[in-house]
Amino acid sequence: MNKNFLKLIGIVALTALAQGARSELKWEQTSVDLKPALGDKQAVAHFKYENVGKTPVHFKSVHASCGCTTAQTQNEQVAPGEKGEIIATFNIGGRTGTQVKTVTVQTDDPDTALATTVLTLKAVITPLLELQPALVYWQNGEEPKPKIITAKANKDAAIRKLDVASSSPDFTAKVDAGSAPNEFKISVRPRDTTKAVYATLSIKPDSPANAANIFAVAARVLPPAPTAAPASTPAIKSTLSTIRHDLATPAPTVASPSQ
Amino acid sequence: MPAIGEAIYFRNKVPWQSPIPASELVTVDQARSWGDSVIWVDARPDNEFERDHIPGAILLNEDRWNELLPQFLGQWSPEKQVVVYCSAQSCNASREVAKRLREEAQLKNVFVLDGGWEEWLKNKR
Repeated sequence: MNKNFLKLIGIVALTALAQGARSELKWEQTSVDLKPALGDKQAVAHFKYENVGKTPVHFKSVHASCGCTTAQTQNEQVAPGEKGEIIATFNIGGRTGTQVKTVTVQTDDPDTALATTVLTLKAVITPLLELQPALVYWQNGEEPKPKIITAKANKDAAIRKLDVASSSPDFTAKVDAGSAPNEFKISVRPRDTTKAVYATLSIKPDSPANAANIFAVAARVLPPAPTAAPASTPAIKSTLSTIRHDLATPAPTVASPSQ
Repeated sequence: MPAIGEAIYFRNKVPWQSPIPASELVTVDQARSWGDSVIWVDARPDNEFERDHIPGAILLNEDRWNELLPQFLGQWSPEKQVVVYCSAQSCNASREVAKRLREEAQLKNVFVLDGGWEEWLKNKR
């Protein structure tokens, strides 16, 4: 009985010693909410930590969830009592809306639960300009009526005017005020719909703070619809397959839907 | 009689085979069975695309969305199915790109490749 009791005390004492000697990285926060300014190219999150244990901590790996995010440690080793941070840089690119990216950090902590930490970076990206649709197209031979692209400018961007330039003289574009504040209607029209043509429409807001931001949409006159082939050919099969898969897709010989 | 009328009116719109909703995943085998009527879209970063990609795939990622989207739309065709892929099952880029193609460009027949590039490589062998 006494022997068992002494064994128990010994185990408890050893465990307490091991706990006291162990390393432990304590994070100030593992989740960061970012609100990048309009037109920002990057969002940077700082995840601060401190080694509150008694032994050094080594970073084994720091891995971001996507290629759009990079993460850097200041040192590979964190001494007891030392503070530092992992800097996660999210390259916004053309992304919009709420973006959640993670960085997984692995240390040499023997406790597997503490060895892996997932840091979360959340960024809400407000677009400067929302364009819809990003494509207007006409079937070959369709009446060359104008089609409208709606541009909604961010209310904080103070955009009063849009300049639209077509990469091809085959299309003309005109900008009018939309039905709501900060809204524009871009009216696009092909000169001719008897030949397949394509243009990129570059849209430049007049906002001086965002002069570098140029947006683009596409305008096309499609090539003539493929002529009817014998029923057994792959061309017909693929057309039928398209109809089956999507009720809203018009048959190739029908004029394009309103966009 | 109304049923006959409906049948005639919707004769070209009835899904005779099991339909594949535009928002769903497609397997490599399914996408391959569509043959030349598929436009492959690679939603991975530029460097991964440059390393290797599905033959004929068009690069369209969110890193350079504003630049790449018009280029893709110049090659798109309404009678084709668009199949978007990223690195693996766990990546989200293909779903995001597919969603934006449906919403912003208002394209139909946009699918996501189940398992992405990894799955393509497995099936290639």
